[in-house]
Amino acid sequence: MRDRLVLALALVLAATAALAAPPANVVRAPGKHAEDTCTACHMALDDARLRTPAQLTDSDIHHTQGITCAGCHGGDPSSEDAAVAMSPAKGFVGKFSHQAIPEMCGSCHSDPTFMLRYAPNIPTDQLAQYRTSKHGLALAKGDTNVAVCSSCHGPHGVLQVNDARSPVYPTRIVDTCARCHSNRALMAHYDIKGDEVEEYKRSVHYAALVTKNDLSAPTCKSCHGAHGATPPGVSSVSNVCGTCHVTQRDRFDLSPHKDAFAALQQAACEGCHGNHAIVHAQDDWIGVGENQTCGSCHSAGDPGATVAAAMSGALNGASTSLAGAQKRVDRVRRAGMLMDDAEVRLEEAHQAFVVAQVEIHTVNAARVEDHTKAVLTNTGAAEKLAAAAEAEIRYRRTGLFISLGVIALAMVALILKLRAMER
Amino acid sequence: MRILDRLWKALDERLDLAPLVEFATHKEVPQHRHSWAYYFGGLTMFFFFVQVATGILLLLYYRPTAEAAFESVQFIVTRVPFGWLIRSIHSWSANLMILAAFAHMFSVYLLGSYGRPRELTWWSGFLLLLLAMGFGFSGYLLPWNELSFFATQVGTDMVSKVPLVGGWLLKFLRGGDDVTGATLIRFFGFHVAVLPMITTALLVVHLALIQRQGMHIPEGLEEEAKTRRPLRFVPNFVMREGIVWLLGLAALAALAAFFPWELGTKADPFASAPAGIKPEWYFLFMFEALKLLPAHVLGIEGELLGLAAFSLAGLVWFLVPVLDRASRRGHRSRAFLMLGWLALAYIVSFTLASFAGAFK
Repeated sequence: MRDRLVLALALVLAATAALAAPPANVVRAPGKHAEDTCTACHMALDDARLRTPAQLTDSDIHHTQGITCAGCHGGDPSSEDAAVAMSPAKGFVGKFSHQAIPEMCGSCHSDPTFMLRYAPNIPTDQLAQYRTSKHGLALAKGDTNVAVCSSCHGPHGVLQVNDARSPVYPTRIVDTCARCHSNRALMAHYDIKGDEVEEYKRSVHYAALVTKNDLSAPTCKSCHGAHGATPPGVSSVSNVCGTCHVTQRDRFDLSPHKDAFAALQQAACEGCHGNHAIVHAQDDWIGVGENQTCGSCHSAGDPGATVAAAMSGALNGASTSLAGAQKRVDRVRRAGMLMDDAEVRLEEAHQAFVVAQVEIHTVNAARVEDHTKAVLTNTGAAEKLAAAAEAEIRYRRTGLFISLGVIALAMVALILKLRAMER
Repeated sequence: MRILDRLWKALDERLDLAPLVEFATHKEVPQHRHSWAYYFGGLTMFFFFVQVATGILLLLYYRPTAEAAFESVQFIVTRVPFGWLIRSIHSWSANLMILAAFAHMFSVYLLGSYGRPRELTWWSGFLLLLLAMGFGFSGYLLPWNELSFFATQVGTDMVSKVPLVGGWLLKFLRGGDDVTGATLIRFFGFHVAVLPMITTALLVVHLALIQRQGMHIPEGLEEEAKTRRPLRFVPNFVMREGIVWLLGLAALAALAAFFPWELGTKADPFASAPAGIKPEWYFLFMFEALKLLPAHVLGIEGELLGLAAFSLAGLVWFLVPVLDRASRRGHRSRAFLMLGWLALAYIVSFTLASFAGAFK
């Protein structure tokens, strides 16, 4: 009886192991480039549609990790006979339908045990996320226009996401999304304008990405999610922006705007900053005048307008003072004076000014003024140092002219004496 | 007045000074169309005196350690009364001294004054110029700023190319494998003790030789010098030289007041070298030429070949009184005159072109 139990357990374990590991002729040792008869034959085909996948295998992450074509398409890659290799009896599938692709990719990528052998650090919830995404939901309803795995990552020649040539690399993903999302005719079916990418490309986020090569700058997926792509709802916009702009979100949460925006069903950050075309916030946005942000809800004379005017005044005063002090210190430095002490004061003023700008999100004028006062204290100190340096320059030049006068007098005296002597 | 007379008498009794005064009052300086050239040597010496005076004042506050050197110079130019003036004059005067020394050397060369019997004067003058450049190289590092740190690294690296002893020389100069605080204290020692001592001794020899041999009249100007009344050294020439010195002083004051010498940022040995590091302007003609050389010429390292060529050129320049046979008989040789003009044209054109950014 006991022997039978051990035998049964051994059989179950062996069967589990066999299920977890794909057949050896389909998946070879990880890290070793796969070799199969599929690429050899397809390379020689005249039809570019059938030849190209074989040509891309060298750069394909799956192939370089030992996964043959049969890993996805089925069949027997060890047979040189095309009929055997592509026999349905050997599990050959051929080209996948659009709808089958997520499940096919997910058959490995959602299997933590399998993925552990290749890339233990990458998540295995892509398929689960995809099913909740706008793309996944539409696909489930039979819409074959939506993106599947291969739409973004490519069907063949799939590169790792941290490979700069990958279509989902931070600097390229925007254009990848744009392939569909800038197609206004296609987007019209989904009630999407189709100008989102165009707008995003005018934003500070895109500028940071392409001009500073800042790979941490947000792209489409940073706010919408990658596999679970969906527009952030009204209630989650501030969380999305707050992921990076933590202090601004904290200050906003302290403000009366938080409840007011919620009551109006208005997305928090987006209300003033917009969504895709987010440009550098300007101090002159604050106010209820024409083209000023607060004016979209407040009007002249109401308490909001009064607070806006107070905050705007404090910021303008600090900004003017900072620019003036910076200009004066620069001018003195160009005249050759060491202005390190003044530079420290200007740096402190600048930091206080940035904090004051962040405090705007509290819409509490007193909190903003606390920091603009620190700006004025520091710019005052810098101006004082610049004035002392200017006085020093005047003193030096006066000293120089007096010295030159004395030197000239001595020279004239010598010349006169020489003339008298040599007459 | 009586006190002065008595003092003079007392000194004369003990030191027998009368013959020296006799010599000075009877010494004459010939006059001709190129006698302006006689003032450059004195002007160089004036700048040297300024260097000694301002250098001693800087020593009162300067601290030669990697941790404190930059801060001490910063303290001098910002907090010490007239520290900015002393530091600026020291830097400007150093450059004007080298400029005056070059002008002096080329005027002596082109007027053919190096020939017999003045070989020793030429050689001592040549060594004095090398010492002045040594002053410049060692002093450049002392403020311990970014530019000087990396320029010193490049400059000292060149000595490692010297065959056989290069590695040893590099370690001797740097006080280790890299430019560190050990290099700074070493350069400080050279700058304020070793070089001034040798320079002062050599300067005394140089001046004694000039006084002993008198001023040289360039070939072809002897007749003109005979027709014009020579100047008495004391007081006429000395007073004229005084006017030139006053002009030098005025230039120093104006440069220091209008263009205070920059301090830059503190050297960070772990930072990468800033773009466009250059040595002092008087090394530019060599620096740019070395950069133009290919990495290898006939299998020999280009830089090594360039350094060998400069050493050889320096040796030829040094040995000119021997190599130029005509100069031994008091004549000027056309070939050596051409060589002088070529050298001058090369140095001036490369230096100016480097300033104009032609070698970028």
